[in-house]
Amino acid sequence: MPKKEVEICVGTPCHLMGAEELLNMVKDLPERYENNFKFKSSHCINDKCDMAPVVKIDGKVYGEQNPEKLRELLDNYLRDNI
Amino acid sequence: MGNSTISEVVKIRRRVYTELVRLELDNELQEKIDKVPKKLINDDSPRHRCCEFKERAIIRDRIKLAIGFDPKDHPETPLSKLTNSINKVKEDTNAVKVLEKACDSCPIDKYLVTDACRNCVAHKCVNACPKDAIIIIQNKAFIDQDKCIECGRCANVCPYKAINENKRPCVRACSVDAITSDENRRAEIDDNKCVNCGSCIVACPFGAIDYISYIVQVLKLLKDEDKEVAALLAPSFTGQFGVRVQPEMVKKALKEIGFSQVVEAAYGADKVIREESEEFLERMEEGSEVMTTSCCPGFKTLIKEHYPELNDYVSTTVSPMIKTADYIKENNSEVKTIFIGPCIAKKSEAVSYENIDYVLTFEELVSIIVGFGINLEKMDEGEKIEDASKLGRIFPYSGGVSTAIKSYLENKDIDLADFKFEAAQGLEQCKNKLKTIKEDEAEFSFLEGMACEKGCVDGPGNLIKAVVAKKLVNDFADKAEDLTNKAKKE
Repeated sequence: MPKKEVEICVGTPCHLMGAEELLNMVKDLPERYENNFKFKSSHCINDKCDMAPVVKIDGKVYGEQNPEKLRELLDNYLRDNI
Repeated sequence: MGNSTISEVVKIRRRVYTELVRLELDNELQEKIDKVPKKLINDDSPRHRCCEFKERAIIRDRIKLAIGFDPKDHPETPLSKLTNSINKVKEDTNAVKVLEKACDSCPIDKYLVTDACRNCVAHKCVNACPKDAIIIIQNKAFIDQDKCIECGRCANVCPYKAINENKRPCVRACSVDAITSDENRRAEIDDNKCVNCGSCIVACPFGAIDYISYIVQVLKLLKDEDKEVAALLAPSFTGQFGVRVQPEMVKKALKEIGFSQVVEAAYGADKVIREESEEFLERMEEGSEVMTTSCCPGFKTLIKEHYPELNDYVSTTVSPMIKTADYIKENNSEVKTIFIGPCIAKKSEAVSYENIDYVLTFEELVSIIVGFGINLEKMDEGEKIEDASKLGRIFPYSGGVSTAIKSYLENKDIDLADFKFEAAQGLEQCKNKLKTIKEDEAEFSFLEGMACEKGCVDGPGNLIKAVVAKKLVNDFADKAEDLTNKAKKE
């Protein structure tokens, strides 16, 4: 199965609301996440700055993230798709 | 210290700032400010307290603090009425304030027996207690709080570590014993002891302690086309606007939001290095044993309020912030000067200096930039920024200032064999080093003191982790010229 793309916005509004913590969280994830997801950063996701920090997983946008919420989202994807 | 985790408390503060900035930019602040609490706390927002009314009351107090008023002094005044007198606000010398409504009045019974107590045979706790405050009830040790003198001996001797030292997070974080409780057991700050380091703000999980802000006042200056406003960027600014955002972009963004000049405060640090080095040599020649730095306002206040007998040891050289502001105002006294840094204590330092108009933290400035709708990640071209030398730029981390002074003196071929340089980071270390001076046991001749652990790179107004900040500070310093070359050109 192709890897799902996970974009993490690091634009200024998302930076202010803790985007860096999301990046740090995914950097430290175990290998099986790396095998299933392709992580990248983005300058802006769909202009959803009011929902900062924003991530996009497999084309779907999620707002008001924090490391715990994002981890849960990723786990849900892993569970549903493997 | 530092906001190393962007908690919900931090996010709320930043949301308040951006919302106020947006309204002010649309010239609607006066008209709509009373509606902000309802906008920020709506039916969908997470509830941390009993009800939305309490949440809104707390937001209202946060807004008061964000527009320069201590909520304690204006308990009933509507926000729109306070907004009216925003320009008349006198800056507060104490930047750290308790938001009484947000304070959870955490229990202050200091030692508590937990469920880990096994009601053992030895009862070491009972035997250790000098006041017979521990009795055994229902198969468990119990501390009679009326008798307890909080000595902690029971906790130390319990083989199960079943007795907890239950300190409030704010009290635990405060190295200068400035936090007490009022009659309702809410936190209260003793302004004469507080050094405005901001540790309690970072520590309180209820967000019940915060710092005073003048973002709207600054914004009004930026909007006024007849006013020239200068941004003085503290040397730890690299990376605070986004880890991949180059310093050149920061300068350009600040110009875009209305600053007419952007100057590195490291420019002033270069001057401080020369002056403080000369002062150090002079003092040593005169037979003095120790000199301390003066650039960290938290450290300087620590000495002033808690070790007044050591005041004469503090360097009389002013801080890089003041040096830079003096230089700007010398050229044009009409220019308004805004210092932007990681520091809350700088807000207090600046109140007594005419040449600094306002102090913002990085988180306040980034909130302003977001309010303007500017995304630095999307900018493709910056503006050159080269006001300072390598040594001036390494001031913001522990060891940086002493390294700079030492290198400068070594470059002038001065024999430093007789002098030892010491760097203290965090108020606890600073206190320990100061004690050795007091007791005539100091094993150093130059003491660099920084109230934050790791230095300014871990200040409470920062947006990124200290390790990353320090790396970026060094990268930027490596791009600068060395101080002697720079001096020749001037």
